[in-house]
Amino acid sequence: MITNFFVLSPRGDTVIAKSYRSKSGVGAHERSHTEAFFRKVKFWDGVAPGTPGMDTTLGLGSGGNKLSADSLSGGSGEGSEAKDSKKFGDAPPVFVMPDGYSYMHVKRNGLIFGCATEKNISPVVVIELLSKIAKVFKDYCGTLSEESIRKNFILLYELLDELLDYGYPQVTQTENLKAFVYNEPIVVSAVADTGKMINPKTASASAVHKPVISSVNADGKKTSLAANQKNEIFVDILERLSVLFSSNGYVLNSTIDGCIQMKSYLAGNPQLRLALNEDLIVGKNSGSTSYSSGVTVDDINFNDCVNLSEWDHGRTLSFYPPDGEFIVLSYRMTGEFKTPFRIFPSIEEVEPNKLEIAVHIRAEIPDNHFGANVSIEVPLPHSTTTATCNVVSTPGATGVNAEYVSQDKKLVWTLKKFPGCTEQTMRAKITLSGPCTSQIRREIGPINMSYEIPMYNVSSLQVRYLRIAENMPGYTPYRWVRYVTQSNSYVCRL
Amino acid sequence: MALKDQGGSDSRFFTTQKKGELHELRTELHSTDRTTKVDAVKKVIASMTVGKDVSGLFTDVLNCAQTGNIELKKLVYLYLINYAKSQPELTLLAVNTFVKDANDRNPLIRALAVRTMGCIRVDRITEYLCEPLGRALRDDDPYVRKTAAVCVAKLYDIAPELVQERGFIETLHDLISDSNPSVVANGVAALSEIAETSGRDVMKISASVLQKLLAALNECTEWGQVFILDSLAKYVPGDAREAEGIIERVTPRLQHANSAVVMSAVKVILSYMDVMAAGGGANAENIRALTRKLAPPLVTLLNSEPEIQYVALRNINLIVQKRPSILENEIKVFFCKYNDPIYVKMEKLEIIIKLVSEKNIDQVLLELKEYATEVDVDFVRKSVSAIGRCAVKLERAAERCIGVLLELIQTKVNYVVQESVIVIKDIFRRYPNRYESIIATLCDNLDTLDEPQAKASMIWIIGEYAERIDNADELLETFLETFEEEDPTVQLQLLTATVKCFLKNPEETQDMVQRVLDLATEESDNPDLRDRGFIYWRLLSTDPEAAKLVVLGDKPVIEDDTFRLEPNLLNVLVGQIATLSSIYHKPPEAFVVRAKRSPTSDVMGMDDDEEDIGGEEEDYEDENDVNNGGGGGGDLLDMGGLSVNDNTPSSADDGGMSDLFGGGGGAAAAPEARMSKVCTPEKSGGIELWAGFRQVGGAVKLELDIRNISSNVPVSNLAIQLNKNAFGFSPGSQQVICNPPIPMGGSGKQTVELVNNPNMLVQVPAGQPASPQIQVAVKNMATGLVFYFAANFAFEALFSSDGALERTAFIESWKSIDDQKELFSTVSDLPPSSTDIDQVAAKFQGYNIFLIARRPVPNAVGQEVAYFSMKTTTGMIFMAELTFKQGVNAAKVCLKTENIAYGVQAKIALENLLRSP
Repeated sequence: MITNFFVLSPRGDTVIAKSYRSKSGVGAHERSHTEAFFRKVKFWDGVAPGTPGMDTTLGLGSGGNKLSADSLSGGSGEGSEAKDSKKFGDAPPVFVMPDGYSYMHVKRNGLIFGCATEKNISPVVVIELLSKIAKVFKDYCGTLSEESIRKNFILLYELLDELLDYGYPQVTQTENLKAFVYNEPIVVSAVADTGKMINPKTASASAVHKPVISSVNADGKKTSLAANQKNEIFVDILERLSVLFSSNGYVLNSTIDGCIQMKSYLAGNPQLRLALNEDLIVGKNSGSTSYSSGVTVDDINFNDCVNLSEWDHGRTLSFYPPDGEFIVLSYRMTGEFKTPFRIFPSIEEVEPNKLEIAVHIRAEIPDNHFGANVSIEVPLPHSTTTATCNVVSTPGATGVNAEYVSQDKKLVWTLKKFPGCTEQTMRAKITLSGPCTSQIRREIGPINMSYEIPMYNVSSLQVRYLRIAENMPGYTPYRWVRYVTQSNSYVCRL
Repeated sequence: MALKDQGGSDSRFFTTQKKGELHELRTELHSTDRTTKVDAVKKVIASMTVGKDVSGLFTDVLNCAQTGNIELKKLVYLYLINYAKSQPELTLLAVNTFVKDANDRNPLIRALAVRTMGCIRVDRITEYLCEPLGRALRDDDPYVRKTAAVCVAKLYDIAPELVQERGFIETLHDLISDSNPSVVANGVAALSEIAETSGRDVMKISASVLQKLLAALNECTEWGQVFILDSLAKYVPGDAREAEGIIERVTPRLQHANSAVVMSAVKVILSYMDVMAAGGGANAENIRALTRKLAPPLVTLLNSEPEIQYVALRNINLIVQKRPSILENEIKVFFCKYNDPIYVKMEKLEIIIKLVSEKNIDQVLLELKEYATEVDVDFVRKSVSAIGRCAVKLERAAERCIGVLLELIQTKVNYVVQESVIVIKDIFRRYPNRYESIIATLCDNLDTLDEPQAKASMIWIIGEYAERIDNADELLETFLETFEEEDPTVQLQLLTATVKCFLKNPEETQDMVQRVLDLATEESDNPDLRDRGFIYWRLLSTDPEAAKLVVLGDKPVIEDDTFRLEPNLLNVLVGQIATLSSIYHKPPEAFVVRAKRSPTSDVMGMDDDEEDIGGEEEDYEDENDVNNGGGGGGDLLDMGGLSVNDNTPSSADDGGMSDLFGGGGGAAAAPEARMSKVCTPEKSGGIELWAGFRQVGGAVKLELDIRNISSNVPVSNLAIQLNKNAFGFSPGSQQVICNPPIPMGGSGKQTVELVNNPNMLVQVPAGQPASPQIQVAVKNMATGLVFYFAANFAFEALFSSDGALERTAFIESWKSIDDQKELFSTVSDLPPSSTDIDQVAAKFQGYNIFLIARRPVPNAVGQEVAYFSMKTTTGMIFMAELTFKQGVNAAKVCLKTENIAYGVQAKIALENLLRSP
């Protein structure tokens, strides 16, 4: 399996590193290998250094072009060398370095969780594992940051010893690890998410930044978890939407990525029962001909800990919630669902070098709901010289602002609150440096919209109830059930 | 106050070490107060992790292990494990602690001791390890057992024979039916690991093991499920029914939350589907049902984190090639999202092209057109290219695709136009004489072209359709103005296009063709260009009609390349789904590091050897271009302009080549390398370089003859680096030290060992000969000047001494290879020594080319054939048939091999050896 594991800071410093199988003699220069790896990730140029002729992301040298490159040049393989050091965006998560090792990594909170291997192992295992490690670190440190890792390095080394042995994943569930860990976490105050407004209704509760085991705070005072533990459980029904509209408002492509996520602080770890809509149907073509009013999901995945014996009849799950954050189930829906917002753009050429763009958005959610932190971006042509915009808002919409960001050549329209059943419009007058050709016209768009809708979900998947399985008198847990809809990729083409 | 200081965090341990701090730590380590001790060990570990040497405290820290306190004990072990790697001799001191702790009452401590012991790679420790390990494997506590299971794998890496002796492998087999899921998981993992490293089948799945594994599958941890599924994937079920039975047990895993489990389950089902398919048509319905079941989980993977998506997409790429039906109706999920990372978008495009059909082409074209207006240049280019590939793939949609491309060309965006030109050329080659009406549009955009590939494509189109373009000659003329500055690809195309133009319209273009031939043959340094120029020249001057046949001959129509992995490779890769192999789309051998570099002392010894022989190599100064000529023979295959799978026998060309250069007579003699001038003083700041290749004692050497022609600074130290090449060579040492330094006017010889490095290997494209060229960059460390040269590799240097095939094996392999794959040529003007089979065989023997058999040709008086075999150090086998005729100083060479890409190389090597006296 994997040879080593490391966490790199956004600047490339090794924050934590552990090697699981090393040959004598190496080790000292392992660090220089990680540095080379970091440079490769940071300045990704589209060509995996260790795999000649195989450019993982680019594919320009292969496929269609291969044909021409080889037939023209007699196959001397110049195609791949000719590509100069352009900026190629993010590095793929798996690639070979010249030292012959394959490196895999995931990025979490700006940190790179990575590892290397010389064997032909399963990259899915490794990437899942790296994500799990990141999650365990977060569960134990409370927050995931360079500082929190540095402050807790001994605890984390202790964890790493249990997480992996000889590079093989061992215990990776937060709660099962507790039995083996003797160090206590030092809490680092959560870094405020700069720039982004946090909506109290949709942001996670403060509990999310609490380590799962009792901790020492910055003054060295012990905070026992049991002392201030409220019997709480947080349940989030989270849906992320990917929708693509055509310019006339039709939905071209739409998917819901949903999950039920929990974070349990229940004392005694009781068994829970979670019931969903009884009319939930799994699989689009599972034989049900009648168009039932029920919820139909394409596919559903369950956490390991879930007992499915009552799933087929009654759509009820039972499980002992593991500590820390975990996903009970995730589901995927495509096809017909009511999109919460519909976008109607229009472009008008008033003069050869003057355009008028109007974006009209209708919220199709009930009026007791609202879209929060809504932001709409409209990319404009490079030749834009000036643009002015104004907005027509109905009452109820708050924090409305629209402006032209000349640096990025785009219009940014934000609304802190977009009430349901309302329509909002933004109009912009744009002046170009030259006449608007069809090419320049193409540079406009696509419109990208991001938002979240608290206490609303599109799929109408519902939690019927969440109960503690056994009857425990006097045990009254706080149950916090939230529904959140978020935009993943909500795009309208022009 | 002290309390406040300490209370902060572990990072307080990172304060700089002052003088005597080591001493201070030592005192603290010996403190009787537990907290002080714990803090001291923490400080030691902190120093260790930032790279300070605290090994001096080893015994002191070790002393702390004598404690019942588990927190302290764990810290000590953390320290031990670190030094176990770098200073194994120190760890010997800890053996007693380990042995003692392995008997501790606390299972956590027992496991800790076993785990740590396994990490210490000292032979002497392994003996002590066996006893406690044996006990740990049977421990009552599952935590200890699971740790012990992994420890067996660790031990196998250090001392496989001990594992055998102690019967640990059998114990691991017992662990598969353990009651604890973690133990089962680690047992399977350890067995798989041992099976992989040893190459032995220790994980053999018998009927009983199979039942155990299937039972464990439901109980196991998620990782254990992956290990079990991966083992199952290697198992071949006896019949379709068994396969179906196992699939039934595996199918629920497709809904697991861990994508690794899902992926491995997909792998098992895919490989068992083959077994079911082999079971006959009765299973067709079942296979269809399975196919339907596989689609949703695969699609779900695409909604995970982008990292998982990427891995899934690379695998899906293989799956859709193997079983297109699984995802044929799901093309929409591969449409790119606005916020996908670029590496995901690129992979999605690849799959879109694979899934495109006449049913969905309109939808796909709409998407691709949209992508072509995005901001990311590479993504745009790939989208444009994808439109062209759709056209090549779907004949009925070609016209629509071309329409979209023309629309895109109208945008005049530089890179969009260039990419369009490149793919339109491919479309022309797929559908000749159908869409030429659009040439005019292309010609309007000549000015935008500034990339070699696009230019070359455009020039090819002009040459190919010269008769339909009124001003073809004028267009070429404009390109010719900058001939010397162009990229070699463009130069070659210009040369060919001009010749085509001349053959179609001799009156108008005579001057032009003359000028191009002059430029190509006299002004250029590029051997490819010169060679091609000479051939055209000769063709045109001897027989213009023949030239027409050759140059304007019908070219094979290119094929849809979307399913471009060879079926064999594809099958290998599908078997490797959910491994790195499936990400790189290469078989594991291509990137898994196994080759061990020879110790430096060996290399030094070799070098000394070289010095002795070096003195005899003085007199190779004459024109040695025959090597290049021979090498060029392979390139001639595509002289007609463009051809992908052109099977034209190259014998005629080769004959022509040797004539061109006045016949053979290369000055090489065995066993030295044939040297050729590769670098002129103008390019390298006054140093002339001659290079050759040969094998010494199994190692491939690059011989360099360094002549300081005009450099004031004596040549003392060169750094050398190779480009990726078709042989996977990289220099064993990058430094070439000339001792004594070579002053102006002097010369010296150097040898660079070439070692095999899989990362340096250029995959040879299917149907193409491997390029013999090795491109070398040299940096003169004294002047800082970097220069480049290319030398054609002498393939015979790669033949290994175990290349003699069994006679029967030879005959069988010879017969098994299709005659179509035969390479043959005639070598004339042989020196007398090369006309006698005995002498040839003796000479060849020196190059590890072995005589297998010889026999007179029936019905042909005086003719005799000899069969030779040779094997490269990389395991490629070549077989040759040489035909000699008494009294004729020529021989016919006929070569057969499975490694067709390198066949030309081997043939050229034989020819060169025959020609050398």
